[in-house]
Amino acid sequence: MSGPDCSVGPRDCGADVPGYVLGALDRVDAELFRRHVDSCAVCRDEVVALTAIADSLALAVPQLRAPKSLKRRTLACIHPDACAGPAQRPAWLRLGSSRPAVLPTVSIGRRGALVAGGLLAAAAIGVGGISLASRDANGIRDLPAAVIDQGRFANAVLHVESGHAELLLSRMPAPPTGKIYEVWLERHGGEPQPTSALFSVTSHGAATVDVPGNLTGVSEVLVTPEPAGGSLVPTQPPVIVAPLAS
Amino acid sequence: MALVPSGDARAFEVIFDRHGGAAFSLAYRMCGRRAMAEDVVQEAFLSLWRNGARYDRARGSVRSWVLSVVHNRAIDVLRSGVTRESRNVHDDGITERLEAPERTEVEVARRDEADHVRGALGQLPTEQRHVLELAYFGGFSQTEIASMLAVPLGTVKGRMRLGLTKLRIVLGDPADALA
Repeated sequence: MSGPDCSVGPRDCGADVPGYVLGALDRVDAELFRRHVDSCAVCRDEVVALTAIADSLALAVPQLRAPKSLKRRTLACIHPDACAGPAQRPAWLRLGSSRPAVLPTVSIGRRGALVAGGLLAAAAIGVGGISLASRDANGIRDLPAAVIDQGRFANAVLHVESGHAELLLSRMPAPPTGKIYEVWLERHGGEPQPTSALFSVTSHGAATVDVPGNLTGVSEVLVTPEPAGGSLVPTQPPVIVAPLAS
Repeated sequence: MALVPSGDARAFEVIFDRHGGAAFSLAYRMCGRRAMAEDVVQEAFLSLWRNGARYDRARGSVRSWVLSVVHNRAIDVLRSGVTRESRNVHDDGITERLEAPERTEVEVARRDEADHVRGALGQLPTEQRHVLELAYFGGFSQTEIASMLAVPLGTVKGRMRLGLTKLRIVLGDPADALA
């Protein structure tokens, strides 16, 4: 075994191993623990051992067949003609835990924001608007949004109900110092229109933001970091793009 | 599995056929809604298709890898905050409609493995089993669990450790079961 003695580290060594292998650490704690494991052979060994135990819990659930429709639509999505396949899908567009660590090269400024938004929306519709959106019998929809370069666990969902939308964020970093998040509405092919929605997030990265205005004709809800007080045109690329599937 | 990173759609379909049921079962157990579980599984498999090259045979079976991707994806969805209130509402009758048949020896063996793991879980003291289930199947963080149960965070960590350690003793090397 190599690496430093676990007991001399500043952490309560090993205490977070169970939470880590069960996926029960908060984002910050998980990242801190990952770094710790890189340099602690004791915890590394324990993670390996307990991961196998935690993984076995998946076997305990009642076994079901995967619906045939699920297989059909999943396989359809790996064919480029059906939806954006892996070869065509921008590498930086990821939802959930696969989000990119680095924003693609996008020029800062209005056009940059528009280009990024447009590209994201075009691809995100293929991922989120169709594959992940859920809709109940009353037409209430929860549309996952693409979160760009805001950490692995940042998450955004657009909740749409009766023509009104709410943006629900979790584990979202606070806007940069001196900035605030601003919500924009983009209609097909048009410029993003500013809204009155300016917001920050709680210390836990949470926010519930009413999206002002009528959603008729809106193709995307965007969020950009802007100077305090907001902007009339985007000055930064979007950090959240929520395509509104029809 | 080795063919998936090279874009072999047939290999991908085989992976889905072999592990799609287990993936859907886990996602449904976590999400409680068929539509949401399907979305989780689809996104997880598409992630595998895109990132298949990351699979390392030395670090576990394909089944284990698939299920861990599904688990992580489901946690992301559950922690999005919009589903938590209502995800205990399970679709009526889905377990009857989609119950996996046992036509092969492999399927029978998997049922036996499931019984074995459930039995091991059942041997745990209630408070230990409870925190493991809230964390693994509920997608709750240990801080949230401490708050829900009104116990110190250290107590939750201790129960998790004891529970996993006891499971390890009862189950032996579960890597064999996940193969």
